[in-house]
Amino acid sequence: MTVRGRLWAAVRALLVPAALLGLWEFLSRGGAAATYAFVPLGKIVAAGRTALSNGELAGNLLASAQHACLGLVTGSLAGVLLGACLGTSRICDRILGPLFHGLRQVPLLGLAPLIGLAFGNGAGAKLLVISLAAFFPVALATGDGVRNVERAHLELGRALTLRRRQVFRHILLPAAAPAIVSGFLQALAFAWLATIGSELLFTASAGLGSFMQQGEANGRMELVIVGMIAIALVGLAMNGLVNRAVYRLLPWHAVAQK
Amino acid sequence: MSFISSTTIAARTVLGTPAADRARRAPGFDRWLGWLGPLALLIIWVAATRSAGDGAAHMMVSPRQVLDAARELAGSGDLADHIRASVGRLAVGFTIGAGLGLAYGLVAGALPAVQSLFGSTFHALRQVPSIAFIPMLVLMFGVEETFKIVIVAKSTFFPVALATAEGVRGVPRSFLDVARVYRLRGLNLLRYVLLPATLPPIVTGLRIALGRSWMVLVAAEILAAESGLGQMMERGRQMLRLDVVLVGVLFTGLAGLALERGMRLVERRLARWRRA
Repeated sequence: MTVRGRLWAAVRALLVPAALLGLWEFLSRGGAAATYAFVPLGKIVAAGRTALSNGELAGNLLASAQHACLGLVTGSLAGVLLGACLGTSRICDRILGPLFHGLRQVPLLGLAPLIGLAFGNGAGAKLLVISLAAFFPVALATGDGVRNVERAHLELGRALTLRRRQVFRHILLPAAAPAIVSGFLQALAFAWLATIGSELLFTASAGLGSFMQQGEANGRMELVIVGMIAIALVGLAMNGLVNRAVYRLLPWHAVAQK
Repeated sequence: MSFISSTTIAARTVLGTPAADRARRAPGFDRWLGWLGPLALLIIWVAATRSAGDGAAHMMVSPRQVLDAARELAGSGDLADHIRASVGRLAVGFTIGAGLGLAYGLVAGALPAVQSLFGSTFHALRQVPSIAFIPMLVLMFGVEETFKIVIVAKSTFFPVALATAEGVRGVPRSFLDVARVYRLRGLNLLRYVLLPATLPPIVTGLRIALGRSWMVLVAAEILAAESGLGQMMERGRQMLRLDVVLVGVLFTGLAGLALERGMRLVERRLARWRRA
């Protein structure tokens, strides 16, 4: 593309966002009731700047990211384990499969009242919800990946008289890696959603969800919007980071996806 | 990106894996094994409630108590009212969101100009999880019905729009070339080439959207509602009625399962030609 073409593409991409922002600003000047819903852009920027400078945003952001990462790690590990069981052992698949697929149907955040009642309203409940969010996609994808391993590779393993653990380490895991990565990327989005959801649903502590809820309770739309922008940016950053890591670890997979 | 992977997983589950083929052929014994997991869970549950002392009474609810609670809720008509409220919101919001998503997806998929104009806004908004919209929508629309319908429509719109645009863009060139050779035009082109080629990904998008918007709706009802399954569970939690909460979990799960199964049936019918 020429420089001019690229410039033109950038202008076109920014046209609609600019128009929407203009409309928002216009609506915000339409009287007291409208100002409440559509806060002026200047106010949002100011609120964002204050939250940045007094460390409020950074603290909450860090807390949320911490929740998400912890849940992601525990949930994914459990997911890989169960997925490998479901994928390799037929008995395991027959016995646990229906239970697994049945439980998968319950909307995760719908479990919040149950988990709140059983485990209290604190950090443990949040961690459980986030781990569950990461667990299901990873388990599903791992099971699929392991099940679809080349039969010839398994036969080769048998010919080489590999032990079970060696088969798992050298044949099943590399074969399932791309599927696990897809599952993990999905788990990332779900875990982030569950993090925000659990912060909204359970008792407030530090976190972006609580930050927004405080804004809502005080009727301060600008804080809510700052929170939303931060949530979107963190989600984007995590996705980018994982994609880059995938490119490093599984170059063949990253190329195949393009 | 994550959407692409989720559709490939979905496609694999629809089209079947080798193990799934084996299971379909397997005799009744395998099916019978499937009940073992839930049965074991039930036995552990009963044993746990029997052995627990009175001190933990509110935490240890036996299956019978849950059944009684379900019967009571069903008898008074409360359960039906809550289900009707939730499903009604889902239906209205889903229809609006899916309609808009289809329209946007068709236009954006067919016209690159529209895509280059709206694409950046679309993808920026898509980054915000639906749940994160709840505080903003509550401030805008209050805690009444509007906010719940808007949140359902929002969480339906994005997956449907994305799947539709991909479906339209993914029609192979060769299909259109063959259609030109056969001089298919207008309605015939739509009926024999465009619809069969684009419908399966669209229905997959609809299924994913339905599952997500159901979850978001239940969460919204937990946060702020006068009725609905989510509100029933939240009130049960506040009154420490674990039996009521469990009835709610059971029915939200069953509703989710029914929606998913229904959409999968449609999907399988539409994708029949793919398996050949």
